[in-house]
Amino acid sequence: MSARASITVGRAREEVERLWQSPEYRREYIAGSGADVTFADAPGDRGTEVHVDLAVAESGKLARLATRLGRGYSRAKVKDDLRRFKQHVETGVIARSEGSPVGERVERKLRQRPAQPLNDSELEKAGV
Amino acid sequence: MRANVWSGRNTVQVENVPDPRILNDRDAIVKVTSTAICGSDLHLYDGYIPTMKRGDILGHEFMGEVVETGKGVGNLQVGDRVVVPFPIACGDCWSCRHELYSVCENSNPNAGIAEKMFGHPTAGIFGYSHITGGYAGGQAEYARVPYADVGPIKIEDDLPDDQVLFLSDIFPTGYFGADLCDIEGGEVIAVFGAGPVGQFAIASAILLGAERVIAIDQYEYRLQMARGKAGATDSINFSENPDIVEQLKDMTGGRGPDAVIDAVGMEAAHGHGALHAVDRVKQSTRSESDRGHALRDAILACRPGGIVSVIGVYGGLLDKFPSGAFMNKGLQLRAGQCHVQKYTRPLYERIRDGQIDPSFVVTHRLGLDQAPDGYETFKHKQDECVKVVLTP
Repeated sequence: MSARASITVGRAREEVERLWQSPEYRREYIAGSGADVTFADAPGDRGTEVHVDLAVAESGKLARLATRLGRGYSRAKVKDDLRRFKQHVETGVIARSEGSPVGERVERKLRQRPAQPLNDSELEKAGV
Repeated sequence: MRANVWSGRNTVQVENVPDPRILNDRDAIVKVTSTAICGSDLHLYDGYIPTMKRGDILGHEFMGEVVETGKGVGNLQVGDRVVVPFPIACGDCWSCRHELYSVCENSNPNAGIAEKMFGHPTAGIFGYSHITGGYAGGQAEYARVPYADVGPIKIEDDLPDDQVLFLSDIFPTGYFGADLCDIEGGEVIAVFGAGPVGQFAIASAILLGAERVIAIDQYEYRLQMARGKAGATDSINFSENPDIVEQLKDMTGGRGPDAVIDAVGMEAAHGHGALHAVDRVKQSTRSESDRGHALRDAILACRPGGIVSVIGVYGGLLDKFPSGAFMNKGLQLRAGQCHVQKYTRPLYERIRDGQIDPSFVVTHRLGLDQAPDGYETFKHKQDECVKVVLTP
């Protein structure tokens, strides 16, 4: 499986790099993974490409330990992190939905929560 | 509040659910005054769209009154009357800036699932499964509208709900289908499906200058509406003669229509007996999600060099795509969920000018609590049903 993920953010490279480093926009998962992050100008008016290479992270000691525990870094989570960074930079908000307000039965209500982020079992179920 | 929720295949029910609340600065809450059942809701009802969960609130065609706004919404005020486009779009990403709102890059919180299915994520849509974001829909007393500074169009006159409600989806969607056909004047356009979207595709093709528009359906009452109200010049009832391609050629001196609009999608009803049976079996065994007689026939009927415009909803995979006809005839295949935000303003102007009164499609008006009856009536085309409007 590819260990790379990327996204294009519709802002100039200077701004994207600056925001990526700022605490307000910091993406914890990617930062914590130690993945290699590079930036490149996208063609035309398309902004800046953010490339994340997890191979670097996966060769690290921590990652090896995590992999041994069956909890290696997830590319799906890296992608989610990238999307949230893009949303935050471009729109000022992170997209959220309500989930399913599932009717009036208490046992259903107990399970209510915002639809995002999906948890591991849901991601697995969706085949991501 | 009361809301119509999906509770399994062929089952919807009106339940008490928590009221929506503002989750982001760019949200607004709308008190729904009118909402409609869309043909694409039937795909959910019939269980053809994956990732529905029990309790999901349905409905992506709605309008109402703004009752609360987040602090990032400067253009709307409490009390404003608005129609809400069904695709949820941020207005800021590259796609939105190029008026491709239905493929907004930021509005789908479940983008990972959509990317897995379609290669790329698509925009969030109200009440339309978790692939499109898991947003609660508008068949409810209240709805949360994200990016309320981008989507909703303010209705500034006293036009009744029935005349402006369909700016949320089916009028722009039909218009988009016609717009994709590059109509310059003098064309013959064939429209597969005379449901609500087909009716607006027909009306829009005429508005844009097509000379003849041929409506295709199996229900005579829908073809009557197409001819009598939408402006179709000709019609084909394939329950009388299933060979649509030959009939279209006959009607066009052998040329075939200049453009063909597929306003049917994944649950096509007609088809050549054997192929239809194959499609039904493959769908039931989940080895094919879409049955595509309408699209196949559209490609076979379209004149060489013509355009096939696909606005009927497809969800997954289709067998027996006539790639030979498509390639050798040099066709253009254009498609999409409508970029509604691009069309709301100009189409609202057309309604105000009296060029069209979209309320002609409404055949049934029910209370929100009667939504389950509405779905059944609409699904089975009972009582000459074309469009059901619900009032909370």
